Amino acid sequence: MTGAGINPTVGSATTRISANRVGKWFGEVIAVNNCTLNVGNGVVGLLGANGAGKSTLFKMLAGLIEPSHGSVRVFGSRLRDEVGWFRRVGFCPESDALPDWMTGREFLSLMLRLMGYDKVEVNRRVDYWLDRFELTGDAGRRLGGYSKGMRQKTKLAQALAHDPDVIFLDEPLNGMDPVSRKQSIDLVRELGEAGRTVMVSSHILPEVESMTSQIILIDRGKVLAEGSVTEIRDKIPEHPTTVALESANPRRLAAFLIGREHVVGVEVDERGRVVVRTDHALGFYRALPAWVLDNELALEEIMTLDDSLEAVFQYLTEH
Amino acid sequence: MTEVTKDKTIPAGQYLEMPAPMPSLGAILWIAWFSFREMARRRRLISLGLINLLPVMVVASIRIWFPDEGITAQQQLASLSHDTFITFLIPIVALAVGVSAIGEQVEDGTIVFMWTRPIRRRAIFLGRLLAAQTVSWLLLSLSLVLCFIVMVSEGPQIITWEFLRLYFQTFLIIGLGTFTYAALFATMGTFFKKPVLPAIIFAFGWENLVANIPARIQEWSLSFHLQNLVDRPPVDTTDLPGILGALLATVIQRDPVPKLQSIAVLLVVMVVATILGIWLLRQKEIEK
Repeated sequence: MTGAGINPTVGSATTRISANRVGKWFGEVIAVNNCTLNVGNGVVGLLGANGAGKSTLFKMLAGLIEPSHGSVRVFGSRLRDEVGWFRRVGFCPESDALPDWMTGREFLSLMLRLMGYDKVEVNRRVDYWLDRFELTGDAGRRLGGYSKGMRQKTKLAQALAHDPDVIFLDEPLNGMDPVSRKQSIDLVRELGEAGRTVMVSSHILPEVESMTSQIILIDRGKVLAEGSVTEIRDKIPEHPTTVALESANPRRLAAFLIGREHVVGVEVDERGRVVVRTDHALGFYRALPAWVLDNELALEEIMTLDDSLEAVFQYLTEH
Repeated sequence: MTEVTKDKTIPAGQYLEMPAPMPSLGAILWIAWFSFREMARRRRLISLGLINLLPVMVVASIRIWFPDEGITAQQQLASLSHDTFITFLIPIVALAVGVSAIGEQVEDGTIVFMWTRPIRRRAIFLGRLLAAQTVSWLLLSLSLVLCFIVMVSEGPQIITWEFLRLYFQTFLIIGLGTFTYAALFATMGTFFKKPVLPAIIFAFGWENLVANIPARIQEWSLSFHLQNLVDRPPVDTTDLPGILGALLATVIQRDPVPKLQSIAVLLVVMVVATILGIWLLRQKEIEK
């Protein structure tokens, strides 16, 4: 699950991005430590606090910095050496730096020109992406005069305009207004559904949750966990999960569950739900139907109360 | 119209061949063109432009205040080329434009947009360098053109074949010097995080020091080889300053080396600096 070893692929079974025991240190500071991961198609969120090593990992994957040890591959190749793959890779940096003297249209046109497109195709794509990000009206203005959100959208547009298969988006929603944020989230989901590999980093949990359930948790340079939120929860048996059960007879259900396998606590909350704390969510879910049927317990609905990224992230980073 | 094309799934392990990188020549020209536009807009170009008026002011001063001193246009050109352009203007312009050609983009993080295109890093370096060299050369050439205008305002009689030959020779010498210095400074800018100080030490410390040491040590400076290419009219030794000048030249300067040797040295320095710069850029990592 973490650190070294062969990992299952996050996303689909098609591995497009892989890192094997990769690490990077700057002087005495360890930015990324012994990370191993495999990413298939779909959207994968790289989640971690500021300074966790997300951007360094992204830059290593995109070939912008060389790992101190280990190896990274995209399409099975080292991007740093085999630059032709950049025709199929998009990268949106976290840094706000843009050539401020250029207009938005000039910048996007140049980026596409350097992808090898002819003038007609460049214009078509530039028009489309300016329109998609609602930048058409400002296309003739210098980037230096753009707001933070507009700059962010310009960076996103240059990463996507050549229709890449693998996309790295480093904190792409920074500085965006709520409407643009929603549009960008929808776009990322659309890209994932279209079979692209989108790695998107953020330190804001709801952002990542809104884009994908496939996550890689990173903290202090180490990959703590990867997979879907539920998978991660199941891989942490000692982490208590809280499940709420709606029942017509909550007291009977609660009395039955006390002392059962995987159940570490039971109470009835103010809404009349039976709230169960389990030390192994998967085991509990597997056993529950048999308990209900064999003992004729009334059970109407099951809800996992703390299956959010927030809960998982807090648990993992605190341990 | 939808830009997000569907079904981009590639079966595991069945990667396509690497798409071809953009042809280097096309990439170099595109990068050079947009870099040229970027460099031509820099504010520091205004101050550089003002410094480049220095030779024009010298020529105008001679024209206004010493019209009857017998200083020929050829002598003025040779003197400007030898003492103003080569020892001062070429290094300072190439330094100001060259050190920032690559290093500034790496420092501010905008190089990331180049590095994530299907372009080899050598094309990025060469494109940026070509732009820096062209901007520097145009700036210096503008100065030379203004000098020409001031000189010919004296009358058409000064436009002789010898004058024109010397004039175009000066253009070429300035071009060669600018291209060589700019390559060297661009490489320094790629290597050093703060390249200005080492570049100044080289341009005005090393170059001046070495160029004035007698014997073959002089040949270790670029300015020696550039000055060696200038055809200097014979020195007038009938007056005291002329005699002293000739004496000093005898003491300090060794016999000129063949011009072809100087051209070869300058070209080798330019090529080696460029290759080194490309290698350094390949090792470079983005920090922002």
